[in-house]
Amino acid sequence: MLRLLLNRIALTIPTFVALMFVTFVMLRLVPGDPVEARRGERGLSPEMHAKALHDLGLDQPVSAQFGNYVWGILHGNFGTSIVSKTPVTQEFFTLFPATVELTLCATLFAILVGIPAGVYAAVRRGKFFDQALMITALTGYSMPIFWWGLILILLMSNTLHLTPVSGRVDLIKYYYPQTTGFLLIDSILNGPKGAFLDVVRHLILPSIVLGTVPLGAFARMTRSAMLEVLDEDYIRTAKAKGLSAFRTINLHALRNALIPVVTSIGLQMGSLLAGAFLTETIFSWPGVGHWMVQSIGRRDYPVLQGGIMLVALVVMLLNVVLDMTSGLINPRLRHEK
Amino acid sequence: MRSTLKYLTAALLATAWSASSLSAKTLVYCSEGSPENFTPAMNTTGTSLDAARPIYDKLVRFVPGTTQVEPSLSEKTDVSADGLTLTFHLRKGVKFHSGVNGFTPTRDMNADDVIWSFDRQANEKNPWHKVSGGSFDYYSDMSMPDLIDSITKTDDSTVVIKLKQPNAPILANLAMDFATIHSAEYADFLMKKGTPEQFDQIPVGTGPFSFVDYQKDAVIRFKANPNWFGGKPKVDDLVYAITPDASARYAKLKAGECQVMIAPNPADLAAMAKDDGVNLMQQAGLNIGYLALNAQKPPFDKPEVRKAIAQAIDRGAILKEVYQGAGQQAKNPIPPTMWSYDKDAADIPYDPAAAKAALDKAGVKDLQTDLWWMPVQRPYNPNAKRMAEMMQADLAKVGIQAKLVSYEWGEYRKRAQAGEHQMALLGWTGDNGDPDNFLAVLLGCGKDGKPNGQNIPKWCDAKFQEDVNKAVTLTDQAERSKLYVDAQKIVDAQVPWLNIAHSTVFEPISKKVSGYKVSPLGAHEFWNVDVAE
Repeated sequence: MLRLLLNRIALTIPTFVALMFVTFVMLRLVPGDPVEARRGERGLSPEMHAKALHDLGLDQPVSAQFGNYVWGILHGNFGTSIVSKTPVTQEFFTLFPATVELTLCATLFAILVGIPAGVYAAVRRGKFFDQALMITALTGYSMPIFWWGLILILLMSNTLHLTPVSGRVDLIKYYYPQTTGFLLIDSILNGPKGAFLDVVRHLILPSIVLGTVPLGAFARMTRSAMLEVLDEDYIRTAKAKGLSAFRTINLHALRNALIPVVTSIGLQMGSLLAGAFLTETIFSWPGVGHWMVQSIGRRDYPVLQGGIMLVALVVMLLNVVLDMTSGLINPRLRHEK
Repeated sequence: MRSTLKYLTAALLATAWSASSLSAKTLVYCSEGSPENFTPAMNTTGTSLDAARPIYDKLVRFVPGTTQVEPSLSEKTDVSADGLTLTFHLRKGVKFHSGVNGFTPTRDMNADDVIWSFDRQANEKNPWHKVSGGSFDYYSDMSMPDLIDSITKTDDSTVVIKLKQPNAPILANLAMDFATIHSAEYADFLMKKGTPEQFDQIPVGTGPFSFVDYQKDAVIRFKANPNWFGGKPKVDDLVYAITPDASARYAKLKAGECQVMIAPNPADLAAMAKDDGVNLMQQAGLNIGYLALNAQKPPFDKPEVRKAIAQAIDRGAILKEVYQGAGQQAKNPIPPTMWSYDKDAADIPYDPAAAKAALDKAGVKDLQTDLWWMPVQRPYNPNAKRMAEMMQADLAKVGIQAKLVSYEWGEYRKRAQAGEHQMALLGWTGDNGDPDNFLAVLLGCGKDGKPNGQNIPKWCDAKFQEDVNKAVTLTDQAERSKLYVDAQKIVDAQVPWLNIAHSTVFEPISKKVSGYKVSPLGAHEFWNVDVAE
């Protein structure tokens, strides 16, 4: 097990370094710079431009800038935002809990709906439910997030008045200290009566929207894994022994079918953490996706570089944890040379 | 220890807010993004300027909904006969916000605060100049270093600004956000505390609302200032709900989650106009969208060729399709809401046959040119690519082959300013409502006869330059107006650019809101706004 852990960590380090180099170079290859980006129509003489670049340290050779950047990262310094002049790590950790909270809720929604639906579709193979579910899953998987979010807002918020339009909490009724940044927790710790339910109400639509794509993926994957397992000899034996259908499916079949699904859940969570930009924009969700995309337009290099590296770090750690979990479930992984 | 203090402060603020919000009148404004910081002098984006505006006052201000200048912290301003000395008589008894970030002012606003606020921007040796980056774009953009000779005080309530040369728009400049007055005492307080960077993040001003809290990309909270010199604002709490998506802003407005929203989607305007709960306010924008014709590159150096190109382009169709009717066709280089606008100017009609004949007469045949379009949506040009395509088709009808070109936005402006283009789309939104801010900035040339950086047509005319140079030194608006009308006539005859359109600015607000004025300068102000329960 220790060897597996060391193996995975050893693979993570070169990935991190390569990503650091690629993002740094790629950002410098994009035309424009932060000084030009903030000027709009306004003029800027070459002297003023050069001075502003000098003040930001962007007049140095790219190799020197990269050296400074690596040196900073080795000391835990991911730089300071050119726009807000705030340390990147401070901004990241202010916004990241919102992204994590949304990702977890969206994943939970996708698991709770997707896996049972996949199991049921496998059991009802070829029947109407199976066909309908697969079409729905494919639709969900290919749904344009922006459109889906706005449709849900119009229906659930503007027409049926069941959920709030956007944001994380009612800004007028509930204003309380956010100690952890996770509003579900903060509303219990510090919020007045009703705050927790209000936070849950705000989470419903964005979780559905962000969870729709993974839901489709989980349902399809669970179905195909289940179909494979249901044809195995040990399932036939279980049935022959007289085990109930419920026990056969949920205890014997699903347990084995879940191995690839668990891996997929981890990968999907990784992509949700980094890719919730559209959902964050539609629902005014103050997370890291929207923060990073905004900084592209502003050419805020430290935010982009730092944000990408920090998100990548979290996703890589998540994958290590996932590999370790898979190792626990699957002994073959533990002993692979 | 510091995080404990921060937590306690947040808890106190939250408790105070909760207690007051039970019975308070709250106005929620759906803004579009987070501010860079809360010091207007360091920012150029409307988002950042809007976020700081409730907190501060200036010496003079724009009357809401207009570009007229009126007294603010300076209750009376004297301008010397030679126009070189401005004397500001400060309002007495003006208080800075108390209790923000642990700061309690011990004195009223005075001349030291005014001097400090400008010295921070002007003086590189000022210890505050470099705090938070030291970039004061507007101060230099409005040529303040070239204009101001000195700022001194004669007593605590009197500030004297001496100019290097007479400059009529200076008062309008001082009504702009970069000229907000900060507390020198708060600066000292933070310097002693060892946290100078908080000056631009946790703001203290004299304005109608005091700062309560800011959560990045989520919310900014303000409370009404009961001691404001203009009297307590009509709403008790002001909340900026940061909502980046325009459709989501409209959905929030419909659901009553906010009462005023910025920048509606053009596609939503028709629905907003029919919406019973929404008052779709509108005003002609203080802007111009134009097609610059590079007068330094043949055959665009000939006025008759430039005029022929103007005749070849169907601006009526552009207005209908690109602006979706939300604007008006431009016939002058300045917007019609601006004083000195030449109402009698004749517009250039769409006449491809006449254009073709004029081009033939000028000996222009099989002309191949570039046509640059900006890669961004701007208030004066909602879709430059579509506009360029329409122009390309119109020009083809008169035998001109235009190749569409674009660059990354910063690169685009830089190359256009360097004059690399033959034809380029661009535009401008006014800063202070003064014609000089359009004519001299966008079409002016230096003493060396070379076009200014922002003169994209690269066109210079001695008489035009004489008019605008003279007008800026005069204090009598009627005299200035005559000169600017004359200058516009020269532009209309010479056609350095094709005036395309002045777009309309829309502001949807809830019908529960009263007193809100749409600013031609794009500012959002709430001190005179009320909201029905």
